[in-house]
Amino acid sequence: MTDFELEDRLRQAALHYHRPPETPREELWARIDAARAPRRGRGGILAFRPRLRWGIGIAAVLALGVGLGRLTVRAPAAAPVPARETNVALQLATAQYFDRTEAMLAGFRADAKTGRLDPTFVASAKDLLSTTRLMLDSPAAQHDPKLHALLDDLELVLAQITQLKSEPGSQDAEDIRFITQALEQRGVLLRLRAGVPAGPARAAAQGVL
Amino acid sequence: MNETELITRARAGDGAAERALYDAHVDRVYRLAYRLAGDDDLARDFTQDAFIRAFERLDTFRGEAAFSTWLHAITTSVVLNGLRKVKRLRGRERDLDDARDVAHGRRDSEPDLKARLARAIDDLPEGYRTVFLMHDVEGYTHEEIGAALDVETGTSKAQLSRARAKLREALKDFAGDWV
Repeated sequence: MTDFELEDRLRQAALHYHRPPETPREELWARIDAARAPRRGRGGILAFRPRLRWGIGIAAVLALGVGLGRLTVRAPAAAPVPARETNVALQLATAQYFDRTEAMLAGFRADAKTGRLDPTFVASAKDLLSTTRLMLDSPAAQHDPKLHALLDDLELVLAQITQLKSEPGSQDAEDIRFITQALEQRGVLLRLRAGVPAGPARAAAQGVL
Repeated sequence: MNETELITRARAGDGAAERALYDAHVDRVYRLAYRLAGDDDLARDFTQDAFIRAFERLDTFRGEAAFSTWLHAITTSVVLNGLRKVKRLRGRERDLDDARDVAHGRRDSEPDLKARLARAIDDLPEGYRTVFLMHDVEGYTHEEIGAALDVETGTSKAQLSRARAKLREALKDFAGDWV
């Protein structure tokens, strides 16, 4: 057999690799439309202007400062952080938190289907749960009912994951099923993605400062 | 209504225009996402993300390239970044699986060409695998691949050539069976 014939055979066989089923057009559109609906006409949650690109790096520092500030409420007041900068910092911190949480929950859901959960999910959930509770207390969540409701649901799901046993293979299948059901029924991942800045926001964010 | 008009309307927030653009491109986007991810949930997630990002960034589309080229650049970025995240999370588990496979000699005893080929494709470096699947399986041109992955056309050709060579090498013991 010549190389050409071999390659042709390979290509034929490769057509069976990850062969896609029929596109679930309507279901996918329903998800996209639901995610888009709140944004139409008002732009994305984090629609940074190009001239703000250099600001995002500073915002990361501010986010840390804001976090530390929240832990030292009774400390003597330092010079106030301008409201606009604080807002950008909180937006950035929220975007990063959403991104991490989405990655963790997507991985959890994928692993749950195999019935073998990586124990690192439990540790990640504990870490994210702390952040979730901090964010629930933030002014942003207090003034945004949608964000507050999403954080409430995330707190519930993450708290359930932290209750799983951390030894590999020792988790209760029913507990895992309840968690994935809660994820689906509440549309947590969909709402998370709707809250994550559209487009390569992190790429855009890299230039904000 | 042509695609340029649809894009103009979609930019203005016309949901029907967004739907028309979606209808025109969703099959190819979903197929690519599925080929790369191999998982329906992930493929749906990636397709959804790709369209949402495209619609959100429509103002940045200047029409210098075809809309499909621009959309596929977003799609490949979404899929490859998403797969890297999943891979990181699954890393430890995969190591265990690989160790188990080696212990049981599964690679050597796998008799089925399709399964062997699937493993060989899985084992390709990300760039080779992406180009191979886009070109040889989904029928993208090297120009389309270059634009989607932001690489030169020559790089795409070179990666395809290396991908095929690696697959030939991995499956050379099957060559006799096909004669």
